Parts: sequence; C-alpha cells; structure tokens
Amino acid sequence: MRNKQLPFNPSLWGAALLLLASVHLAIAQTPEPRPAVATHASALSEADYLMEMPIVLSVSRLPQRLDETPGAVTILDRDMIRLSGARDVADLLRLVPGFQTSSSFETGAPMAGYHGGFDSYSNRLQVLVDGRSVYSPYFIGSVGPGLQTVALADIERIEVLRGSNSAAYGARALLGVINIVTRHTLDTLGLQATLGAGENGIRDGQARIGWGQPDASYRLTVDRRGDDGLAGSNGHNRVSRVNLRADLRLVAGDEIGLRAGGLDIEFGKGIAGMIDNALRDAAFRSGYAQLDWRRVLNADEDLAFAYSHSQERYDDSFMYLGPVRNSAGRPVMGKALFDASGRSSSDAVSVQHMVRLNSNLRVVWGGEFRHEGVASQGLYNTDSTFVTEFSRLFGNAEWRAARDLIVNAGLMLEHSSVSGAGVSPRLMLNWHVADAQTLRVGVSRALRPPSTFESFSDVRFYSTEGVAQGVSILASGSARPEGLLVRELGYLGAFPKLALDLDVRLFHEQFDGFLRQKNDTRPADYVNGENLGIQGLEYQMKWRAWQGAQLIFNQAFTAISSTDEGATWAAPKRASSITFFQKFPGGLDLSLMHQNSSELTPQGGGIDSRRPISRTDMRLGFPLRFGSNRGELAMVVQNLGSPYTDYRKTFSFERRAFVTLQLEN
Amino acid sequence: MLVRLRSLLLSCWLGCCAVSTVQAANVVIVSSERSPAYAQAAQALVSELERSGGSRHDMLLLTTTELAGAANLRPKLFVALGVQAAQALAQAALPAPVLCALLPRSSFERVLRSSGRKASSQFSALYLDQPLSRQLDLIQLALPEAHRIGVLWGQESQAQASALNALAQARGLRLLAASVEQDEKLFPALKAVLQDADVLLALADPQVFNSSSIQNILLTSFRAKVPLVAFSPAYVQAGALLALHVTPEQIGQQAATLAAAVLQGKALSATPLYSQDFTVAVNEHVARSLGLMLDAAALRTRLLRAEAAP
Repeated sequence: MRNKQLPFNPSLWGAALLLLASVHLAIAQTPEPRPAVATHASALSEADYLMEMPIVLSVSRLPQRLDETPGAVTILDRDMIRLSGARDVADLLRLVPGFQTSSSFETGAPMAGYHGGFDSYSNRLQVLVDGRSVYSPYFIGSVGPGLQTVALADIERIEVLRGSNSAAYGARALLGVINIVTRHTLDTLGLQATLGAGENGIRDGQARIGWGQPDASYRLTVDRRGDDGLAGSNGHNRVSRVNLRADLRLVAGDEIGLRAGGLDIEFGKGIAGMIDNALRDAAFRSGYAQLDWRRVLNADEDLAFAYSHSQERYDDSFMYLGPVRNSAGRPVMGKALFDASGRSSSDAVSVQHMVRLNSNLRVVWGGEFRHEGVASQGLYNTDSTFVTEFSRLFGNAEWRAARDLIVNAGLMLEHSSVSGAGVSPRLMLNWHVADAQTLRVGVSRALRPPSTFESFSDVRFYSTEGVAQGVSILASGSARPEGLLVRELGYLGAFPKLALDLDVRLFHEQFDGFLRQKNDTRPADYVNGENLGIQGLEYQMKWRAWQGAQLIFNQAFTAISSTDEGATWAAPKRASSITFFQKFPGGLDLSLMHQNSSELTPQGGGIDSRRPISRTDMRLGFPLRFGSNRGELAMVVQNLGSPYTDYRKTFSFERRAFVTLQLEN
Repeated sequence: MLVRLRSLLLSCWLGCCAVSTVQAANVVIVSSERSPAYAQAAQALVSELERSGGSRHDMLLLTTTELAGAANLRPKLFVALGVQAAQALAQAALPAPVLCALLPRSSFERVLRSSGRKASSQFSALYLDQPLSRQLDLIQLALPEAHRIGVLWGQESQAQASALNALAQARGLRLLAASVEQDEKLFPALKAVLQDADVLLALADPQVFNSSSIQNILLTSFRAKVPLVAFSPAYVQAGALLALHVTPEQIGQQAATLAAAVLQGKALSATPLYSQDFTVAVNEHVARSLGLMLDAAALRTRLLRAEAAP
C-alpha cells in the first residue's frame, strides 16, 4: 500500500535549474540603465550630481517600525541566534515570551507553541520562511517540520509576531506568526563551514558556498544535525537539509528570487514495551521550490508576485504484535500493521500590491490561491487525495491619523473549499504618547478552518489476515472553523539614557468553538468544543547594562480557562527567563541563559503529565582570525542542572555539552 | 513638467536673443547642454541679474557648440555651466573673465590641468559639490550618535582623503574608509566599511556611486542598518537617508550675485568658491523606518546659522 516515491520530484529540480539558467541569460543580455544626463566614462562631472537614480528602498522595502506594527514583535537576530547556542529554531523560541517548546521528535520534529500546547501538533501559528508558508498540511498544520526548513547559519533574523495576525497571513496565523528571514546571498559570498560534536551523540555539520556578483548571486548550503534525543526516548534523530537561493536583478527595478531545497528528518520514535506504539524508525521528507518576482513601479508603488510548490512525505509504520480478533470475532494472538505514512503537496500563488497613497497612508493588498492535497491510506482509509483550496483576498492599511497616532486596519477574506468563507478583521492603534513611549490597543478576529485530518481522518487497523480491528479516529466531518477574538493592550518603551527597552503585552484571547480531538469515546473525533479563553500578561526587558553586556528578562503570566483540567495547564501560569550576553575585550563571548516555568502539560499530554521546567544554558565563544579568514570556537552546555521532563513523563532533557567550530573566508 | 515647460520657453527666448543681440551682451552664459538642470541654472541667473537692475538684453545664452560659431563677443563676463562649457572656454582666448559654475571641484581642477591655467580672477569657479566640513556638520546635526563615518574612496575622490581625515579628527569623528580600485572590489569594500560604521558618507565618484551600483549599496547598507548620506536629491529618492546638495537654481542665483559684482567693476574671486546656499533633502520614509525624525528645512537652517556664527 505504501507508495515509494522520491522525496523531491526530479522534474521540479530540473525546472528550477532551467529557470535559473534562463534568468541568468536574460541578465547577461539586459543593458545597464542609462543615466539621464550623459556622463564621461570615468571622470566625475556635474552629471553625477544631476542624474536620476533608480528607486531602491521602495515602499515594500521599508518595514514598519517596531513601535508602529499592529502587534508585539520579538526579533531574534543573527547575533542572538549565535550567542544562544541553540541548534534549531524551536529551541530558540524558548527565548520569546509566551512560547512553549519541546525537543522531542515523537511528532516528527521539535515543536513550539504560543500560549499553550493543547495537542501533539502546534497548529495555531503561521511559520514563514522568506515569505513561504511552511506549516505542514500532512501533520494537521503543525509548525514542527517548517521550523527545520533552513540551517541556522543561513538565518538573518526571526521575527516573532505575538498575537493574531490572520488579517495579514490567513488562517494559520491565529495566535501569531514566526517569520524566518534568511540571509541575502550577497551577505554570504565565499565559503563557510561549521562542525559540532559533544554529549548525547551530538554530531552536527554544515557547509555553505556563496558565489556570484551583485546582479546575480547564489548560495548553496548543506547541513546535518544529529543527536540521540531525549533520555528515555527512542532517540537517534538526524535532520539533513540542502537549500539553494538565488537573487537576481533583471533591470533596475526588477528582482527575482529563486529558492529550492529539501529536508530529511530521520528519527526514532515509540516506547519500548508498548505494543500500540512500538519502537521504530520514521522519516519525514519535504522539498520545495519558490519563485519571487518584485517590480518597483515607482517611488511609492511595488508589485510582488510569488509562486511556491512544496511536498511532504511521511514514512511511519510498525507491526503490532498482540491480541487481535480473528475472522470469527474471537481474540487471538496476531499481527496488525499500523501505518501513518502518506504524502501531501501544496502550491501557492500570490500577488501583492504595496502603495503609498500619501505620506500618511500606506496600503498593502493582494490575493492568494493555495491548493493543498493530502493522501494517506493509513490515516484516511482511502488512496484518494483530499484536496483543499484556499482563496484569499487581503488588505492592510497603515494610516498615520495624527503625528503620534498610527492606525493599522486589516481585513482578510478567506474561502476554503472544505469549510466555506470567513472574514478576519483587525484594528490596532499605536499611540506614541511621548518620545520613544508607545501604547498599543487593538482587537482582531480570526478563523481557523479545520485541517484535512480534523475533517476527514479515518484511522483503522486490519490484522495481517485482513480482519478489521477497529477505528481509532473517525472524523465525523462536523468540525467547523474555530474562531478567536483577541483584545490586547501593549506598551513599548525605550529609555536610551538607561539603555533599557521594555515591551509589554496584556492579552485576552477568546476562542469560539475551540477545535480539539475528543478522545473520551472510541473512535476519537474532532469537534468544536468549549469557548476556551486565554488571558495574561507578558513582557520583555532588554538592558544594555554596561559595555558589551546585554541582559534580557522575559516573563509571561498565562491563565487558561477550560473545562478540561489538562488544558488549563497547557501553558505555565508563570514562565520566566533571563539571558545574559557579555562580550569581553579580545572578543570572547559569554552567554548565560536561565529559564524557569511553573507546571505545564506538554503538547496535550493530559493533567498527569504536568511538570515544571528549569533549564540553564551556558556558552563561551572564542573568535578566531587567521589572515582574511574568520571563525569561532564555542563551547556550549545545555541544561547545566538536573534533567527536566520533556514531551512525555518518561522522557527527559539531560545535560548536553558540545563544542562547535565555525570557519569562514 | 511645469519646470520643463518654463525651461523650454526660456531656452527659446534666450535663443531668439542670441540672434538679435549678439554684440550687446554683457554676460554670456555658456551651457554644456540644453537639459533642464542647465536651463534652470541659467533661468535663475538671468532672473536674479534682472532683479539687481540688469536687462535681459545684456545676457546671452549659448550652448558649447554655439559658442564656436559666435563672433565678436565682447561681454564683461562669461559664465560656464557645466564641465564641457568650462573646458570650451578654457581653451579659448577670451577678452573677459570666466566663472565656471555647475561643476564639481575635481572637474574644475581637471579643466585647469588640461588647459594649463591656474585659478585666478580671470578664471574662477563656483562649485557644485559641497564642502566636506559642511557634510560632516550635517551628519553631526542629524545623527548625533554617529561617530564612525564610513567612506568609500574611488580613484577620483581619493584626493580628498587626507582633508576629510583631518576634518573628522577635529570633530572627534572616526573615518572608516576603504578604497575601491576596481569595480569588482566595491562590494567587499562596502561590506568591510559597513561592519563598524554608524553612517555611510557618499562622496561623488562615478567609479563607486553610479546608477548600477546604487542598488546594492543602498540595499546592503539598509540591511546593515547604516544610513547613507549622499550628494544629490536623486539618491534620497532612491533610498538614501539624507543628501546635502545645491540646486541648479541656487547655483544660478549665486552666480548672478558674483556676475553682478563683476558688472559693477569688481574682480572675480581668485579662489574658487563653494555655494553659500544649499539644500538638505531627507527621505522621511527611510528616516521613519530607522526610527529617526528629521526635518530637512530645520537642518538647513541650523547649518546656515552655524556657518554664519563667528
């Protein structure tokens, strides 16, 4: 029944390369723009002062200031990523207020959730990598595999928008957006490599080559990270990646971006002695190609077009050995195949128009069409592909109503071929009450339509004799989109004299028909249950205390009101973290990070799995320099203290000490 | 559009004058080209001279090519607009002093070298570029936190290196400079400078700053959060934070003041001059995204006031 397919369609790669070659050819034939005033080949003249220039920092290039965005934004930049010692994005998100993370691979990849891990898969966040939505259609919209798309070394920054942003990014941005921006190819020219090794079987390697010139630059990165996973788990996790990015400039105002890559996660899962979750190896593979084209129409107008294709394949099956029913309905010892394998694909095409109507009004509007297909015999009891098509129309206006008042208004109209149409509006006011002091108040409404699994799952088992053994999950199809109403109050303050920045968010998130697996009856079903509410306060304080020092203090207080006791602990009532970075003379970098969470139930683990988390990490980085080559030798110890429980009661995160060596020319 | 139309009408009018009043002109304006910038400078020069009592019939506008065919010119002053006009006048034996305007200092010096002349009251200039001290003053006014000034030297701008270094030192600023000897070196040099610079000061040099390199310079510096301070309003439109420049009108007006003095019998300044008036341009969108509030008019006023102070 299993369909052996190459993880990446070779024709896809062929098409991408052909496209690359043809665009390169086009560049070679494109003449340089002529200056408006004829100029001598090399000598300076008045022409240099009088000639026209192409518009470069056009409207879409200029991002909103942090104190003018319609929400709370935490930025993890390249320095912070390096200094954190984190080995993947999910682990990095521990540094963002309100996030819960896990390092477990039981659900395919380490997970991160905001304001509660209610289920095995975190699917109320949007993850974008260079603008491409990377949530997993196969895994119920899970963010896990998407967070593994690119090597950490290629990431310029991660912008985490805490708070609903469906008005701009659609259904998946229910609780927030994780926007991963990779480095520009012109910033990664040359060779670079990293090696890491240490406790817990850590064996990491990464290599990158960047080439080209300003008109056409390229990067190819391959990397692999591996470890033995959580103590008590069936570890040996290997994440292998290849990513290609090309940035091409056709003529002054036109830019093309091409990206393609593949991800291969091989991991062990299951529990020794559990016959219905036996020890086994599983693999998740995905591939993508993405084309972006941006045209600057004039100083105040840009047009952006994007197309992407992504596909996923999951291999996970094992033989159940235990009591089964025979054809006469009698219990006998026998075998049954558990198989969750399958595949999915998605295609998305979008157009965006950004226009500055006047110096006080900026508008982004556009449309997107997205086609998703999911197929798995094991999960849907059919070979058919379940297709969901999304059509979206969106608009966002940034209006400077007064010198100190910015109104961000957004609206998304979304139609799903499965669950119908919905509207997600948002209104946010940012008021600069004083110099560098901003108050933000807003309300938004968002909808998340059920994923394919939540609508159509039909998980049943047959003995090897072909006798039906029962149905574990059967979606009745009654699930409707869950709604969310978010009200928030924010404060952003900068105190330059004290070298202090403060970001506070007070929130109330009210679900309407919270969509969850109802598993108190057999078979389990997905239903819109209670109107769950999440409220709380979170803040981040950054203090550049003295020369070379940075101190970041985060706290989040969260209260979840739910009739399910386990769910009320999906986020800790109180979570704190303190991060200290110090650069010493000579370039030595010291990082100390401590995280402390009150009790929480990880990823829908139920009330019995409740546990607190306390973790301290340390990193020392020594800069290396020889000739024009640079590098860094770093030593990292994750979880200096005693092991803490992660994902499952029997899994724990033990101390991991490792060394990394990074070199670049 | 309106400016272009006015320039065109003016050119036509001046062209008519050229036919009818060849011998009578006291000021002969020689333009390198007929394009808008030259016409605007000429128009401002003519209007300003008129305002100070001159007559339009005293002024004659020619292009460099028309100059060759013009005979019996006996003006009291020639004004060259642009390097080509300056070059043409430098080659001719003329009965009157020449004021070269609308050209940068290094172009004027190149004209001097190629014609074997020296700057004198017979052959002087009003520069288009801005004095380095004024550029540093602007940076200090607009970006008081910026202490490390990144500069990219090309073959031509390199000559100003020691002067800029001295001026920066006197102000407590640090220069982070890199030389761009060949075109392919531009990018590594830019990246090296951006690593530690608080601001990138663009000094005109076609080898470094041109319409094909500006895209990468602006994008790379913006990614590094380093604002660009440039030398023309076109760069501000393209995405530079600030520009300090003098408009063709301002050049025309100041040239008129100098011309009026010559008409009254005074000599031209033997030392070439920088324009007294200037303009500050700000890209408010770039400023806003960098978290800066800059007011172009206020910056200009403060700079003028500081220069007027004893």
